[in-house]
Amino acid sequence: MLGRMEGDYDVVVVGGGPAGLAAAIGARDAGATRVLVVDREDEAGGILLQCIHAGFGLHYFKEELTGPEYAERFVARALDRDIDVVGSAYVSGAGLDSDGTRRVRVMREGHGIRTVRSRAMVLAMGCRERTRGALHIPGTRPAGVLTAGLAQRFVNVMGLLPGRRVAILGSGDIGLIMARRLTLEGCEVVGVFELMPFSNGLTRNVVQCLGDFGIPLHLSTTVVEIHGQDRVDKITVAPVGADLAPDLSRCREVACDTLLLSIGLVPENELSQGLGVELDVVTQGPRVSSTLETSLPGVFACGNVLHVHDLCDYVTEEALLAGRFAGELAGGVKRPRDNIRVVPGDNVRYCVPHTLAPGREHTIYLRSERPLRPAAIRVGDLVRRKLGFVTPAEMITFRIKPDVLDRFHGEALRIDLLGEPAGPHLAGAEP
Amino acid sequence: MSPVTTTLTCIACPIGCALRLTHEGRDIVELAGATCDRGAKYAAEELIDPRRQLSTTVAIEGARSARLPVKVTRPVPRDRVLEAVAAIHRLRVRAPVRAGEVLLEALLGEEGLAVVATRSLGRVGP
Amino acid sequence: MSERYDVVVIGGGVVGAAIARELSRFRLRIALLERQAEVGFGTSKTNSGIIHPGHDTSSATLKGRLVVRGNALYDRLAAELHFGFRRIGQLNVALEPADLVALERLKAQGDAKGVPGLELWDPARLRREEPNLSRELRGALHAPSAGVINPYELVFALVESAARNGVELAVDCPVTALAADGDGLAAHTPRGVFRGRFVLNCAGVASDRVAALAGAATFTITPRKGEEYMLDKRLLGLVRRLVFPVPSPKTKGTLIIPTFDGTIMVGPTAEDVLDRDDVATTARGAREVFAFVRRLCPSIDPRDAITAFAGLRAVADGNDFVIGPTSVRGFVNVAGIQSPGLTAAPAIAEHVRDLLAAEGLALVAKPDFAPEVRAPARFAHLAPEVQEALAARDPRFARVVCRCELVTEAEIDDAVDHGARTLDGLKFRTRAGMGRCQGGFCTPRAMEILARRLGVPLHAVTKRGGGSWIALPMGAEQEA
Ligand SMILES: Cc1cc2nc3c(=O)[nH]c(=O)nc-3n(C[C@H](O)[C@H](O)[C@H](O)COP(=O)(O)OP(=O)(O)OC[C@H]3O[C@@H](n4cnc5c(N)ncnc54)[C@H](O)[C@@H]3O)c2cc1C
Ligand SMILES: Cc1cc2nc3c(=O)[nH]c(=O)nc-3n(C[C@H](O)[C@H](O)[C@H](O)COP(=O)(O)OP(=O)(O)OC[C@H]3O[C@@H](n4cnc5c(N)ncnc54)[C@H](O)[C@@H]3O)c2cc1C
Ligand code: SF4
Repeated sequence: MLGRMEGDYDVVVVGGGPAGLAAAIGARDAGATRVLVVDREDEAGGILLQCIHAGFGLHYFKEELTGPEYAERFVARALDRDIDVVGSAYVSGAGLDSDGTRRVRVMREGHGIRTVRSRAMVLAMGCRERTRGALHIPGTRPAGVLTAGLAQRFVNVMGLLPGRRVAILGSGDIGLIMARRLTLEGCEVVGVFELMPFSNGLTRNVVQCLGDFGIPLHLSTTVVEIHGQDRVDKITVAPVGADLAPDLSRCREVACDTLLLSIGLVPENELSQGLGVELDVVTQGPRVSSTLETSLPGVFACGNVLHVHDLCDYVTEEALLAGRFAGELAGGVKRPRDNIRVVPGDNVRYCVPHTLAPGREHTIYLRSERPLRPAAIRVGDLVRRKLGFVTPAEMITFRIKPDVLDRFHGEALRIDLLGEPAGPHLAGAEP
Repeated sequence: MSPVTTTLTCIACPIGCALRLTHEGRDIVELAGATCDRGAKYAAEELIDPRRQLSTTVAIEGARSARLPVKVTRPVPRDRVLEAVAAIHRLRVRAPVRAGEVLLEALLGEEGLAVVATRSLGRVGP
Repeated sequence: MSERYDVVVIGGGVVGAAIARELSRFRLRIALLERQAEVGFGTSKTNSGIIHPGHDTSSATLKGRLVVRGNALYDRLAAELHFGFRRIGQLNVALEPADLVALERLKAQGDAKGVPGLELWDPARLRREEPNLSRELRGALHAPSAGVINPYELVFALVESAARNGVELAVDCPVTALAADGDGLAAHTPRGVFRGRFVLNCAGVASDRVAALAGAATFTITPRKGEEYMLDKRLLGLVRRLVFPVPSPKTKGTLIIPTFDGTIMVGPTAEDVLDRDDVATTARGAREVFAFVRRLCPSIDPRDAITAFAGLRAVADGNDFVIGPTSVRGFVNVAGIQSPGLTAAPAIAEHVRDLLAAEGLALVAKPDFAPEVRAPARFAHLAPEVQEALAARDPRFARVVCRCELVTEAEIDDAVDHGARTLDGLKFRTRAGMGRCQGGFCTPRAMEILARRLGVPLHAVTKRGGGSWIALPMGAEQEA
């Protein structure tokens, strides 16, 4: 992507996915005049460019768009605002000067390597997919084992099919969406195998991507071995017990030439670690304040690099905020430091942000540890609200009004999810 | 005819409410579980005329990528999705193309079902 | 095609490559035939990469003698061929009181063989030098001459050096039949017939089969599988030296290996298998490896495994290397090269050279033998100013192909120039795809470059040749 890149900016945004683009717009709208977005792909848009299905933008654009449409609109909005957007530009390092200037080192195809300085920096590098190694599935190492996201890129961008007979491990959304996508392209999807007793994907995707095509979803089942010399020729699957250990006495073989992995996403924080940003061991993203500022002053984070989101609209919402605070900071606005710590309580896997300040409205993103129904959220002893059904697959967003925190006098605000553990709720899923 | 109860998962929005639908033939007697009106609408549609959003890609020549993502502007009858895809896959596109450009009208012979590009791709090379 | 050679080497592993390169010093016509799409894709790729000191093998065996000489040859070899090599030292640690006695025996054996610098360490010294090891350990034997290499880099460099000095390399070239031919042998392959006065059998785990093709079936190979597990970068620097237990007669045991690149690897197992293609890792293997290494170093966690592989040691009956001429004229075995074959390879090459001379091969040194090959550019290791200068000169250095290992397009191009034909070939030459994301990001880019450079469509790119296709063309039915 063509674009201008100077040496000095108010705000530099690393990553031009939906998070990075929205952050840049947020910063610009908060008064930052010189804003740069850098992305290592040829063009900005991030993962959205390969997510050709609809489901984006209901909150933000009030219409249902496909990933590329959502991306294109955001790029246009950024360019309209005179934001510099450059592609084929990889940020290979970042640092903080002693005077507080933030630096990124950009390797840009055709332009060499250059250091860019800024008053504030936004980390928006997205996430990567977990690979086979994360599970250590025993067996051979043939071609044909790949992540669902890579398969998505093959099919939607490169015009390649990952194989003919495809098994999918993990019921994450990307895997579910690829099950449908590959079926439409004439592949046979022999089944989706999920370790947990519930799907990790959105219900909508289970219904539309599997149910419609009669693709079986095998819950509480995992792949215990991969076979094939040059190319996958089959896999062995086995049911798992309550301790998630496979019951090898009940294993069976499934013929396939491809195994897609849809077993989770990991925030891409090598750059943040190089910078010295403090990470949360649960989210694997930076610990952030209520202004989405990391442990390093003037360095903000948003989108999937902060914590894995399942809906792009929430990424946008969060990133607009991060950008706004980065823009304000670049303009010299100082906000009082947070003085309330958020503590994930019962059934809560994590909460973002990690700290809050009174006097402002906050959006808290959290994930439950297990499906609960009926569920309720309890914030300290200040608020209790019904949520209906919650599942780890779907992030919960919760707004805390300023007056709520005004009533809070402690230092640690505990958030609990209450409710009865719910079993598998999907009709049609086979054990 | 006596009422029948079906459970459906609402897919009109990502929340995915579990709907319990009691109906006599095509007449809905009772609907439980919907959080909003779209749930009721979805349940009715799913009963009478189930439809699905459809997006895929088509081959494109002269562009940086090999495939052009496309979508159908309105939902397609669920039972004709594969037929629709086959028709779309027969399309051949040459760059440049703009997002929103109509590539095919009256898909499946149905007025209002248009296939449009969902991204812009410039022309590269000759 | 039918060509005549002085020497035909069957097998492009470290052994065949080292021999071909050694012989390329002389006025000889040499062919190196490899069954797979690239050299070094056999056992020489899937091992621990350790240059053993040699104190753990008896000098009564051929392997016990060649290993010490091989180790000593590595400094010069690395200086000439520029593959990564570092003498990081090795510790054999005592888990039980009885092990202390064994360590003293090992030291005595090593001292007698001339293994340099062996030293016994008490627990206090051990703790000071390697604070992350278990506090239960009772002492250690330190062998400073132990080194680590990236074994595939060694094979690539040996073959490149051999080729520069005139050796003709043929890949995708399995020898399927061997027949007497004048005063030598004819090796039949799908790529033609290669006639040689001498045919060297360096076929690794397949060496007994190749011997049988020649009518010299005097030994059998039992593959002994070893599984290895690579760990996350979280553990970088966990130990500075190779950590071994006390060896058993069958194996050197399960080890903690700080690889040349710094990544920690644990393994191998040792299990006799029937199938010569069985390079599958197993749940049991993983359990065994982690259970054992956690006794050595409790901070290692099975969750750290980022990838695993297995290799087959070619164990001949007799449990020693099988090197020498056979009853079939011109057919020479360099077979059963089990561990420490990597270490011994340069010494094996010298040994085979002398043996061929004794068999009547005239060795006339070439005055123009060029011992050096250039090291491949490794962008990630350069100083920032050097990186910037390179990128300013050549834009391909500013295009990142593999983000985890910071591999640039220029390095990928260079690897193709030096013989990479497959994704694995690129990976082992440049590290593209070896990092945390295991190819998730770089696979499409690497495929595109390979396809362009080889002049083939994207779907013709393979993981490692043969039937290891990666993707199919889309819409074949639509084109019709
Ligand atoms: C394969 C996949 C499929 C998905 N499908 C869906 C879906 O269908 N619906 C949905 O709502 N969500 C989906 N998600 C989640 C999706 O990631 C988010 O909705 C959204 O794209 C996250 O936005 P982001 O900007 O945080 O990350 P991304 O979209 O991943 O953008 C991050 C950007 O940063 C760039 N980058 C990273 N590091 C550097 C660097 N060092 N230098 C320069 N640039 C860098 C990357 O190239 C990338 O463009 C999917 C995620 C993945 C991985
Ligand atoms: C797990 C493990 C760990 C090890 N660790 C170490 C270590 O740390 N240090 C050490 O010194 N040693 C180690 N070894 C041993 C070492 O790896 C081997 O001794 C060495 O690689 C053997 O090399 P090779 O050339 O004989 O075999 P290979 O590398 O297997 O080469 C044989 C080649 O012959 C080819 N071939 C076979 N049949 C034909 C045919 N018909 N026509 C043409 N080509 C053919 C094959 O494709 C192959 O490329 C280890 C071994 C294993 C398994
Ligand atoms: S009923 Fe309403 S809220 Fe519930 S899933 Fe359907 S559309 Fe969404």
